[in-house]
Amino acid sequence: MSQFAQVTIYGLLQGGLLALVAVGFSLVWGVMNVVNLAHGAFVITGAYVAWEINRAVGLDPFLAMIPTAVVLFALGYVIQRGLVNLVVNAPIFITLLLTFGLNLLLVNGMILRYKANYQSIPTSYATQSLVLPGDVRVPYGRLIAAVIAVALTLALAWAVRRTRLGLSILATGMDRGAARLMGIRAAHVYAVTFGLAAAMAGMAGAAVGTVSTFSPADAGRFTLFSFVAAVLGGLGNMYGALYGGLLLGLVEAWGGNLLPNTLVNAVAFAVVVIVLAVRPQGLAGRAFYASRVEV
Amino acid sequence: MTTTAPEVSTVAVAPAPATRRWRRLTPWGVLLLAAAAGLGLQTQLYTGQERTVTTVLMYVGLAAAWNLIGGFAGYACFGQVGFFGLGGYTTAVLMVHLRWSFWLALPVAAVFVGLFALLVGLPLLRLKGHYFAVATLGVAEGLREVVMNTSSLTGGGAGITIPSFGDAVTPWLGNDGFYLLFLGLAVAVVATGLLVARTRSGYALRAIHQDEDAAAAMGVNTTLTKTLAFAGSAVLTGAIGAAYAFQQVTFYPDRLFDVEITVLMVVMVILGGAGTVVGPVIGAVVVAYGSEYLRQHLPTVHTLVLGALIVVAVILLPQGFVNYLREATRQRQFSLLENVRRYRL
Repeated sequence: MSQFAQVTIYGLLQGGLLALVAVGFSLVWGVMNVVNLAHGAFVITGAYVAWEINRAVGLDPFLAMIPTAVVLFALGYVIQRGLVNLVVNAPIFITLLLTFGLNLLLVNGMILRYKANYQSIPTSYATQSLVLPGDVRVPYGRLIAAVIAVALTLALAWAVRRTRLGLSILATGMDRGAARLMGIRAAHVYAVTFGLAAAMAGMAGAAVGTVSTFSPADAGRFTLFSFVAAVLGGLGNMYGALYGGLLLGLVEAWGGNLLPNTLVNAVAFAVVVIVLAVRPQGLAGRAFYASRVEV
Repeated sequence: MTTTAPEVSTVAVAPAPATRRWRRLTPWGVLLLAAAAGLGLQTQLYTGQERTVTTVLMYVGLAAAWNLIGGFAGYACFGQVGFFGLGGYTTAVLMVHLRWSFWLALPVAAVFVGLFALLVGLPLLRLKGHYFAVATLGVAEGLREVVMNTSSLTGGGAGITIPSFGDAVTPWLGNDGFYLLFLGLAVAVVATGLLVARTRSGYALRAIHQDEDAAAAMGVNTTLTKTLAFAGSAVLTGAIGAAYAFQQVTFYPDRLFDVEITVLMVVMVILGGAGTVVGPVIGAVVVAYGSEYLRQHLPTVHTLVLGALIVVAVILLPQGFVNYLREATRQRQFSLLENVRRYRL
């Protein structure tokens, strides 16, 4: 029983982190209809930025999330404004290819700069654990990371629905032509959306770097996690990314405990394919984004 | 979803029958010439070059096969490497466990992959756009995990080795043999593309690409057409995967199900010109050769440079080289900057 509780708690903590990884991916997909294959690379870039800050001035990695977010926002804004906006009207393969090229650039740039070694951001407390009754251990680092991650995901979901900027993002995603007629600068809004997604990914990267190890080679894995979480939760739905992330974390934790070696991945992919075939709007989503207009 | 402007070239004056026949036969003549050139080229190459050209030929076949579903039908299949790997592993299992001849295993593997694609395609081809891309990507990744976890049959992560010398049923074909095999496969795939481009089913596929509902309203059986295109593309990819597996002799799931192979196919088709017959061939030759050249001359940064080149090429030529050339000559508008303006926000 205590092992089950341990696995469940671990899965939920990991899932919270995955939600933060996936939420930006889902936002970009939902608003711009762009599948950002470089999303995982943003996560790793964020981890390296936090690592550099931590090494240079000794800033606690969870506080370093703030400058990391600023750096990644700028990076995302520039990439969208300078590159993705140029082909945003082209058929879908084009944006897929563009982000794939960006992914190659970012990942290999990081390999050149930092080598392919695994790094971790050291803290004095991250590996210590809160011991609950029944010998269930909750590492502080993972607890803080998951709480921050869920809070940020909820904050983004709230901001998109309740602030002026968020509403203009939603409006542009629903009908770009109409949004432009209402005086929204679509190019700027797209860039802000992409920047926000990159910032979320960067903060997730800082947290990932604190609770576990990272290397440029992990970028693809994080993109895949985002895919799965976003699809499970429903695209463009910020709360969906949260459900999807938590579900993915739980499934991975339980599956890793019950099933032999990597079969859990096969199960995860099977679930994704079935969800897509039966309920393409995701488990929590509504069938809206499938049928929107683009002008 | 914005699709590219439909290319309706309404020729006002119908050309004379003789001209029409000549026009219909020209591509086949060019294909024959290209095949003959491939044969002639082989005699001029030393071993290292021959291997490089063999790889290029393999990618010509793969890109042209992906073009059937991704280019003509416009369905972004991002799981194509799953068919490649499944073809390779089916061949390996047949040759290792049942001791079949390679020449029997290759067609059986290709048909098996085709049946698998039919089975998967029926539910998944109902999806569109990114959803289809992600679902097929999931299928390919799932296949790799299944191969990983059935080690008694496939060797799992430790890899599998096809018997290729000594008492092997089919001895290894040698560099010359594989050159000819991949040349033959590439010609076969391009010929399939030519057939599809000029027949009723090809027009149906293009109609589906431009507007699936309208195609259905015109009486195209969309489900049947796109499922057959998907399966056909899978059969050809599976056959190439089978040949690749035998060429490699020893291989691992990570190599045969490498997502990068799918992406390369897509890059080649898009840069060359999706939905054309010659576009994927040009794209494959340029990208495969360029990638090989970079690997040899800039070993540490070749992936980085490849990434940068993809970004630049995608921005400058979003509709692909052949389509750009066709539109540019028709409109006498060759400026690449003008080209960028078309898809800009």
